[in-house]
Amino acid sequence: MIEDSRLKVVIVGGGTAGWMTAAALAKLLPSRCRVHLVESEAIGIVGVGEATLPHIRGFNEKLGINEADFMARTRATFKLGIEFRDWARPGDSYIHPFGTFGSGQGDIDFHHYWNRARQEGQKVPPIGDFSMAVTMAYMNRFARPSADPAAIESTFNYAYQFDATLYAPYLRRIAEQLGTVRTEGRIVDVELDGESGNVRAVRLESGERIEGDLFVDCSGFVSLIIGKTLGESFEDWSKWLVCDRAVAMPCRTTTALTPYTGVIAMPAGWRWRIPLQHRTGNGYVYSSAFTTDEAARAALIEAVGGEPIAEPRVLKFKAGRRKRSWVGNCIAVGLASGFLEPLESTSIYLIQAAITGLVELFPEREISHADRDEFNRLIDAEYDWIRDFLILHYHATERSDTPFWDYVRTMSVPDSLKEKMELFRRRGRVVKHREGLFLDASWVAVYIGQGVLPESHDQRVDMLPQSVLLQNMESLRAAIRSKAERMPDHRTHIEHYCPMPKAA
Amino acid sequence: MSDAESGVTVDPQITAVAVVGSGVAGWSAAAALKRRISSLNVEVISSPPAPDSIVDRVISTLPSIVDFHADIGLTDADTIVRAQSALRAGTIFEGWADGLADYVHAYGNYGVPIDGTPFHQQWLRARAVAKVQPFDRFSPAAELGRSGRFAAQGTAIVGAMPTIGYGLQLTMERYQQLMRAYALHLGVAERGGEIAAVPLRPSDGFIDRLELTDGTRVTAELYVDCTGPQANIRSKLGGEFIDWSGWLPCDRLIFATAQPRQDAQLLDGVSSTAFGWQWAASSPAASCHGVAYSSAHASRDEAIAALPSAAAEISIRQGRWAQPWLRNCVAVGDAAVTVEPLEWANLHLVHSQIDRLVSMMCGRDCAAVELGEYNRQSNAEADRIRDFVCAHYVTARRDEPFWAEASRIEPPESLAHTLLLFAERGRLPYYEEETFSRDSWLAVLLGQGFTPRRTDPLADIVPIEDVTRSIANYREAIKSFVDSQPVYHQVFSSLGQHA
Repeated sequence: MIEDSRLKVVIVGGGTAGWMTAAALAKLLPSRCRVHLVESEAIGIVGVGEATLPHIRGFNEKLGINEADFMARTRATFKLGIEFRDWARPGDSYIHPFGTFGSGQGDIDFHHYWNRARQEGQKVPPIGDFSMAVTMAYMNRFARPSADPAAIESTFNYAYQFDATLYAPYLRRIAEQLGTVRTEGRIVDVELDGESGNVRAVRLESGERIEGDLFVDCSGFVSLIIGKTLGESFEDWSKWLVCDRAVAMPCRTTTALTPYTGVIAMPAGWRWRIPLQHRTGNGYVYSSAFTTDEAARAALIEAVGGEPIAEPRVLKFKAGRRKRSWVGNCIAVGLASGFLEPLESTSIYLIQAAITGLVELFPEREISHADRDEFNRLIDAEYDWIRDFLILHYHATERSDTPFWDYVRTMSVPDSLKEKMELFRRRGRVVKHREGLFLDASWVAVYIGQGVLPESHDQRVDMLPQSVLLQNMESLRAAIRSKAERMPDHRTHIEHYCPMPKAA
Repeated sequence: MSDAESGVTVDPQITAVAVVGSGVAGWSAAAALKRRISSLNVEVISSPPAPDSIVDRVISTLPSIVDFHADIGLTDADTIVRAQSALRAGTIFEGWADGLADYVHAYGNYGVPIDGTPFHQQWLRARAVAKVQPFDRFSPAAELGRSGRFAAQGTAIVGAMPTIGYGLQLTMERYQQLMRAYALHLGVAERGGEIAAVPLRPSDGFIDRLELTDGTRVTAELYVDCTGPQANIRSKLGGEFIDWSGWLPCDRLIFATAQPRQDAQLLDGVSSTAFGWQWAASSPAASCHGVAYSSAHASRDEAIAALPSAAAEISIRQGRWAQPWLRNCVAVGDAAVTVEPLEWANLHLVHSQIDRLVSMMCGRDCAAVELGEYNRQSNAEADRIRDFVCAHYVTARRDEPFWAEASRIEPPESLAHTLLLFAERGRLPYYEEETFSRDSWLAVLLGQGFTPRRTDPLADIVPIEDVTRSIANYREAIKSFVDSQPVYHQVFSSLGQHA
């Protein structure tokens, strides 16, 4: 037998990031790598119940995962978007949908028509009434999007809300079937090559030494290799994203099973509400500069409806990213590479982006700079784009009712965001960005939802007489409503399609 | 929020646009603006096209021209039959890499993905173990072009629909007349005259009015400069012009015409010469030839030696304005970006800039933040066309001093990045506002023998025997597809009879 020419990839940490990486490498690059994952059950994973973005469907598909089976086993529900409550002002709400506004036809974005009607003093319904996804979400309906681009049911997309503590084991089964080796144990030492500075091996508490060609750091906030051992510096964004703690506490689902995630503004941050089949995930993301752990915990318990089924847990973090996510022969994936609060459900997306980058730029034994630099360029661009989008949520507010909201409302924001907001405010234009996350409609949803309203609109929409415009808008709204009404109830759909296994 | 409260009045919509220049760019801009934003009053100041206008001399265009026509309501009967245009499927490049055969850059797919993996990766793998045909032989559009056959879209090849894009070969005079007549029909006003002065408002540097030689004054809220490379209007506002001559070594173009060919061709030809390149293209009215060369490496006489007749010579200074749209003046076409016609992107740039202007029309304030986004997109587009053209030079392989120098050009950063990743593993990075598709980049890079060091590991998932079989099958299928299509010049001459 000839020597195995495949690279040995050692994955450090077995949470969502670790097992996603293991499964993807084992499935997609069997001829190029052997995967060895080291994890310690004593450490536990952060996974607090995850809301995801539609991209995860592509990831699961590549792994050959059956959707209904995956949803049943992770107690998943469908997700059409995120509802933001009390962000611009207490009492406000809007949904950032996975999908566009309007019929999806024509050259001109729908919000220009909506803006014109509004600017001409007409009483227009909220823009969400003209979104298929938003309408379905508020009516608790779910059906799969249509493949016919002319149909209005093709204008939305969907993701999942699932129990992340079950997703990792689900992927572990797949990864192990594909030959991934798993070692249980706590890492006590990382051994570097004196000459190249590359990681040579990790040593476990048991004394076992595991060598590798490539190390994937999925150790979470600890950032064991890229941060602690290699000392890659951290770009700190906490002056814009001031939240640095979260307290999480699941409770029994008593209310409707909503096909959307709830994100509700709080005095010193915000709280999430993620409905799963068996429970509802809750948590309060807050800034320790503006409230205490005790106060946050009390506020969460008070706010949450439903009976708590676990003790509240506190997590600490800092917004930002490593200057480089790939250093030497170490690639950081997930929290080890950086952290952005889960306001827009980007945690798993960022893991996925890193995995896609790693798979597409998988190196040879001699790692080329071209691959490494390109990986870092791609990851940086993802982080930076999301960063601006998150800051927008805080900054575009009229709230001054607590010191926290006063701070974020008046803080200075990155120039890149300032320009984006100014451009929208003038004429409803969105900075063009064709690849990656959060395309035009997402920005439009948040701008309008949070009161950044354009003063003018695309002048092509003036060609329509006002009466025709209003009539068209009303019939669009009615069409969306009637389509949604014919769709099944979200819970009913799940009970037919992917019910979780009955308790044994 | 705070702006609205401070009582700033809303920026009113633009109602009056003056377009300066009566070449193809000027009339196209006027027609599109009037047709797509009907509330505008559009006036064309129709001074004759500048003698150094590239757009008005280059007859070959990209497939995007067809979409532009559709968007403004022109039909094939107008633009092909009445304007005496012909179709073109691509370009055949000869002599760009010593020792390699010619290659065709067509506007369609090159191969089809094999089990979800990119075709070019599998073609590279197959080539390492067996003899396979050149890359362009796997493009249905390129093969149709080579064999002079015509296919409308709609027939699947091995289960996949081929993409086949056709650009036009224009009969320039007829096309200019068509655009002018159409613009006037749409309600564009025309005023003959030459610009004498462009006074600026002292307060903010905006154009106050245009003064014509006959004393007429023209005012508008937006001035569209289509005066050609000199940018007669836009240049009055100042600002930086970014010079590309360090990356694109040709600085002279010579144009010549001859009798039309009897047998219509679907491919135009572009061959390298000792000090640049030359082309041959033909419309139903004439065959058009030209030379692009570097005056530092050849004299005019040397340059025209290969042409059937010599006509106009123009000097070009390749580059673009840092801000094509500044205050109330936007430059379109050669006035915004001057680039040699290799790959025929000149009129495409005009169309794309007009589309962008229509969809990003600002208010009378011409707010810097709105213009900034227009300029960002326009510049990204221009720079990637520059990169694509430059790639032909830096990857070419010929020995003459001109080419030896070209091979030592240090490419612009974005092109260097593209070539680095491609050389490493055949990866093409994504860039915003890219005009040429991945397949176009592949056609040229692989056509010129610029080959990656290794292939993408993801391609390994398909066993090599399956790959070689799939490749052979696809090649066979293209061949029988092409052979069953009608001969283009026969189809085309019967089409011409309806004119």
